[in-house]
Amino acid sequence: MIPGLNLKALLLASAVALTGLPAAAETLRVAMGFDPLSLDPIATSDNGSIWTQLLIFDTLVRPDKTGEGLEPGLAESWTVSEDGLTLTFNLREAKFSDGTPVTAEDVQFSIERAASEESGWARFYRPITSFEIVNDRQIVMTLAEPFTPAFNNLALFAAAILPKAQVEEKGDAFFDAPVGAGPFMLKNWARGSRIELEKNPNYWQEGKPYVDDAVLEIVTEPSARVIKLEAGEVDVALDPPLNQLEDLDGKDGISTGQIIPYRADFVQLNTTREPFDDERVRKALNMAIDKDALVQGVLYGAGEPAAAAMPVMAYADPELAPYPYDPAAAKELLAEAGYADGFEAQLLVDSGAATSRNAAITLQAMLQQVGVRVEVQMLEGGTQWETTKSGNYDMSVSYATSDTIDPDQIIGFVGVNPERANAYHTEWKSERLNELYEEERKTPDGDERGGMFREMVQILHDEAPYIFLYHPASAWAAQDYVKDFEILPTSNFRLEEVKIEK
Amino acid sequence: MRVLRNLLRTVSGSVGLIMLIITIASTVLTPFLSPYDPFALDFANAMQPPSAAHWFGTDNFGRDIFTRVMAGAVYDMRLALICVFGPMAIGVLIGLVAGYLGGRIDAALMRLTDIVWAFPFYVLVLAIVGVLGPSETNLYIAFFLVNWIGYARIIRGETLLISRLEFIEATRVLRFGKLRVTLRHILPNAITPALVYSMSDVVLTVQAVAAMSFFGLGVQPPAPEWGLLIVESIDYMRDAPWMTVFPGLAIVWIGIAFALLGEGLSTALKPKG
Repeated sequence: MIPGLNLKALLLASAVALTGLPAAAETLRVAMGFDPLSLDPIATSDNGSIWTQLLIFDTLVRPDKTGEGLEPGLAESWTVSEDGLTLTFNLREAKFSDGTPVTAEDVQFSIERAASEESGWARFYRPITSFEIVNDRQIVMTLAEPFTPAFNNLALFAAAILPKAQVEEKGDAFFDAPVGAGPFMLKNWARGSRIELEKNPNYWQEGKPYVDDAVLEIVTEPSARVIKLEAGEVDVALDPPLNQLEDLDGKDGISTGQIIPYRADFVQLNTTREPFDDERVRKALNMAIDKDALVQGVLYGAGEPAAAAMPVMAYADPELAPYPYDPAAAKELLAEAGYADGFEAQLLVDSGAATSRNAAITLQAMLQQVGVRVEVQMLEGGTQWETTKSGNYDMSVSYATSDTIDPDQIIGFVGVNPERANAYHTEWKSERLNELYEEERKTPDGDERGGMFREMVQILHDEAPYIFLYHPASAWAAQDYVKDFEILPTSNFRLEEVKIEK
Repeated sequence: MRVLRNLLRTVSGSVGLIMLIITIASTVLTPFLSPYDPFALDFANAMQPPSAAHWFGTDNFGRDIFTRVMAGAVYDMRLALICVFGPMAIGVLIGLVAGYLGGRIDAALMRLTDIVWAFPFYVLVLAIVGVLGPSETNLYIAFFLVNWIGYARIIRGETLLISRLEFIEATRVLRFGKLRVTLRHILPNAITPALVYSMSDVVLTVQAVAAMSFFGLGVQPPAPEWGLLIVESIDYMRDAPWMTVFPGLAIVWIGIAFALLGEGLSTALKPKG
């Protein structure tokens, strides 16, 4: 930061103030594609809910903007003991939006709640077995046995710090009008239409948020978000259609940005069914896909081909290359596995996800080249999840995003069976990977733990329970007067640093 | 033949018929004449505007839209015709039975139609396909369950009317069998309004079928069904409007063709005098 620049901005600001313009409340309007389901952090896993919660609640620590480290949130400082079993947090002098202070008791309550029966994220917090409240602003958490992701998991939305007294008093009703220590507070929530947020006057980062109000407009159709942006009805449009990015960037008064977040797209293969139980078939399918063509044709270049079902994040192996595009070798492998004439299979796809739909159509054409006849079946997203969960499918286009910067969350989801989702419903199982997962969680951060992750991802790549597709970019388009808006590697966005400079 | 001659004597009938013949001819011939495969991807030629090489332009996968719209006609025509004439057969049968037998059977069948009639058409079709899952077969099931009502009502009314006419009275005097009277004397007279209605029903059903695919509840991709072509084009509408416009025009074209045909038929089938 250049100090001079700040001074200049300050002078400019006072100049504006001196001209006697009425201090109109500044409202930032964001068009978002997802409607939150709930604002209860332990009950949700959909992006609309998570993103909104992160604007209203704060966590002890949080991923920094680079996605490579953690930065202080409600905890001002912390120490982790040598053996990793004791975590001590010193809370800053922060207040909830209603003015009550954030205390160690609220922290204990919130983390215990996240580890409770009704929590969807309990596994993440159960290893923390006891709490000791030293004083209002210091808390010590103890683990019975080493669990390396514990610290990082406290940066997850599910570990949002809630005001104990109010949640206990109001129960579930609390989350209809929640009170948090995040940069914004909820003013009005018209389900399916908009979420109106107001600046939290008690936010611990002084002077922030820069805008007075923020409105999240729920606009599910990507093109409609862009039209609203061009009409000046919103200031930021999230996830515009990727094919329109270039055009949009060329328009006066509008600029675009993109980032490849911690996300991987793939096709789940039901390894309990023939022929997907055969590793050769799964490899052949991977080799039958021209990933570069997919990135160009479906993502319009906004993405990278994928080598595994893991996002490229901490401990990723830069040497791991995607399967080569080689239809001839794919055919040979299929013949070797006894499918010289190919086979027929059904491919599920979320009817609401345009990119996945286009990917499915492209996959169908590419697999046709090696004799695999795919029948595309479009389903509503929730139904698709239920169908794959029940194991009643052949192939399904899906993806995984990481909400944290530690790869433990995602490998547990896509690679470990049983753990969270039976290797994301592929029912594929690698004893070695399971073993490494157990080990990794006990090993302190460092090269040794990194090596375990690299081996797990390598196994995932080699045994290919998925067709690995790509890491797509997340894009946004904004009016030029919106400054410092960005999407973070964890796919969410912060609004406290966004400025409107008209 | 007399009907056809009468039909061709009306302007609307002959125009409608010509439009239909053009559609059928181009649908049949396109696979042989078009150099393009409606399913093959060609990303290098994606989103080309209409030109001599691609009359309707290309889509986001580089597929020729003219070829796809023509290939799609097979789906839309098949769906619309089966979804109209299948239920029509059921409806005619039920209407005849109800109208001719009367009494309790009539009352029961008409209450059944009242129940189905009470639900808005789209809500019912959406609900059925929603439960069964999206596919062409389930679309047929849904339409067969819902679409017969109109025909049953029309035929029943006509049957009641015709049954009281003198020539039917005469058949009773002559002791003709009930079945014979129904099929040979009542049906041919009662079917006319149902036929005319069926033409406008085709127009509505083409739209309904396209709408179901638009909602993701009908034919599955990559089938070039028109409703699918439109829903897939939405994100590209601003860069490549031809992706939306031509399938839309195809629906309008076929709609006009059947509407004109229906109007011509109603004139052609009208009893003289």
